[in-house]
Amino acid sequence: MRERKRGPARIVRTLLPVVFVFGLAVGNASTVAAQVENQESPIVTCEACHGDPRFLVGKETAEEQAALLVPDSLLLDTVHSQLKCVDCHPGPAMGYPHGPQVAVGCGTCHESEQTDWEVSIHALDVIEDGDAPTCAGCHGVHEVYSIDDRRSPTYPLNVATMCGRCHADPSIIGTYFSSPEEAQARVAVEQYHETVHGAALERAGLALSATCNDCHESHRVLPASSPESSVNRANVVKTCGDCHVGILETYEEGSAHGAAYREHLRGPTGHEAPACVDCHSAHSIVEADEPRWFVGVVEECGKCHEDVYETYFSTYHGQVTALGFELTAKCSDCHTPHNMRPATDPESSVHPLNLVETCARCHPEANQSFVRYYAHGDASDRERYPVLFWSWLFMTTLLVSVWTFFGLHSLFWLIRVTIERARGTGHGT
Amino acid sequence: MGRKLASSDRGAGPYIWRFSGIERVLHAMVIVSFFGLVITGTPLLYSHMPWARTLIRMVGGFQAAGFIHRICAVITFGYFFIHIGHLTYRIAKSTNKKRFFWGPDSMVGQPRDLQDIRDTFKWFAGKGPRPQFDRFNYMDKLDYWGEFWGVTVIGGSGLVLWFPVFFSKVLPGWMFNVATIIHGIEALLATGIIFTIHFFNVNLRPEKFPVDVVMFTGRATLDYMKEEHPLQYERLSREGRLGELIAPPPSRAAYLWSVTLGLIALSLGILLIGLIIWALIQGGWR
Repeated sequence: MRERKRGPARIVRTLLPVVFVFGLAVGNASTVAAQVENQESPIVTCEACHGDPRFLVGKETAEEQAALLVPDSLLLDTVHSQLKCVDCHPGPAMGYPHGPQVAVGCGTCHESEQTDWEVSIHALDVIEDGDAPTCAGCHGVHEVYSIDDRRSPTYPLNVATMCGRCHADPSIIGTYFSSPEEAQARVAVEQYHETVHGAALERAGLALSATCNDCHESHRVLPASSPESSVNRANVVKTCGDCHVGILETYEEGSAHGAAYREHLRGPTGHEAPACVDCHSAHSIVEADEPRWFVGVVEECGKCHEDVYETYFSTYHGQVTALGFELTAKCSDCHTPHNMRPATDPESSVHPLNLVETCARCHPEANQSFVRYYAHGDASDRERYPVLFWSWLFMTTLLVSVWTFFGLHSLFWLIRVTIERARGTGHGT
Repeated sequence: MGRKLASSDRGAGPYIWRFSGIERVLHAMVIVSFFGLVITGTPLLYSHMPWARTLIRMVGGFQAAGFIHRICAVITFGYFFIHIGHLTYRIAKSTNKKRFFWGPDSMVGQPRDLQDIRDTFKWFAGKGPRPQFDRFNYMDKLDYWGEFWGVTVIGGSGLVLWFPVFFSKVLPGWMFNVATIIHGIEALLATGIIFTIHFFNVNLRPEKFPVDVVMFTGRATLDYMKEEHPLQYERLSREGRLGELIAPPPSRAAYLWSVTLGLIALSLGILLIGLIIWALIQGGWR
């Protein structure tokens, strides 16, 4: 990168005196002329004008002032400190005085970033005269710092704020993400602060935690619907796995979800096999130790595993979960979070041979008889759980018949006493 | 003075003893423990209902609820075995064993009760007079034996669920599922019977509305006994034993406390039944 910058820079540096002499010969700007008279050197630097606040007389807006007042000191500790003005603004070299100058494309040096950006949703919008960011929109104009520099808007701790300038701006969100399918995009930045990733960055100050560009890429930002997108279903497992290497291994190597995901299988409910975001969500990822995670994950699993979701709530585990407590066993406590396998798989945590060990995580004294508990027993399923069905039927019959008999008894009693009282013959009057 | 709030004070005195001190204490234990059990147990049965969350948080979370539930279970076993012990003592002491089990003072169901049921339904249909009851009618016996059955069944299944590791040594694990079903439905039956049928029979039916505190004060007026337990009254008069049972009127404080606590218990029970009905309407019978 740096090698490439030096080429044009050297050429420009060599040409600079020539350029300015030429410029002076035809120029009539009094400031420049005065400066030349006052200085012994015939070399005029950009700083001479653009470093002097008086140069801004008549420039009202902050944008104009910022664009025009560019003292050398401003660039001194930027990533571009080795560059000269004309490296990016070759215009003045072509004549003086110079009108508004357009910078050369950053892609002149940053070729691959330019290429990535050009296919991004941001570039598409720019081409359509939208207000999506070009390079400067994210990196700044003159004060461009390295992504490792705390001051850079692209420094990990600053990225969410930087993206949020647009993605949390109600007017921009309203323009670009107004359709129902884009509901998630409307709250993405806002929700991010509450996620485990956002909390790690902002509350724990952990610069390594994932921020916007870690999942969405820095330059090739694409909507999740695009097959090329890093957050498309087809790619998102790899994207998460870039950081969560161990989880990715477990998921891909043996889990039923990983295998089905690889095969693009759909479950009986028509859902595709779950990728990371299906259980963890995209922008409301919470730490898997939090109560709200434990209670919420059952709902996530239940979206596909409908029947076992129902039967789970007929057990004590499920009842306490439904009451909003995290302590009793949730899906992942028995089936593991990422290594879930069918009970027929000898490596499954719920294979009969492994049940004692699995149950013993919470019930240390669990034994072979103890684990014959039906964790998803269903009293309405006469085929699979006859003993539960008949117990249920017997108890229900008992309840209904006893209550019906005495309920009618009470009702008749009330009617008879009311009749007697109307006739003036009742008791207790 | 007009009509009394408590129907056990209806009409004219003197007061007659109906329940002994130990019976009243045991019944108070039943009330306290039963409310504790229902309040901490029902939220599990209807855990999807918003009120279940509220109720369980009010008692301090599900672990606190579980603790209270077990404390109340201990009280339940306590009154159950105190009663068994007391009963054994009374049987041993009784001089007429046959009369103890098979007489008007016995809780054992007898042919007389079947006749009473038949006569009551005739009365309902307007084809006979109001049946005359002795000391304990068949509804009292339902409550009594219901308590026996309930404590045994709910208590037994509850113990299995309380000590699963211990019971897993003698029972297969799926018995915990069975115990859960039995415990829940039988508890619902008990709740349903006590908070509707029992409440109606002893408090809410027009003759007794709004509350009958005889089980709290232990005594009721002679007029009450003549109407509610005419056969007992006649029997005692005939045998000349009525005088033995004459009681001083309850103190003003005891009376007011009895009425107040009785009405609170009634309201709370009806509220709980309301919550259960709400849950059944919304979720159906599962």
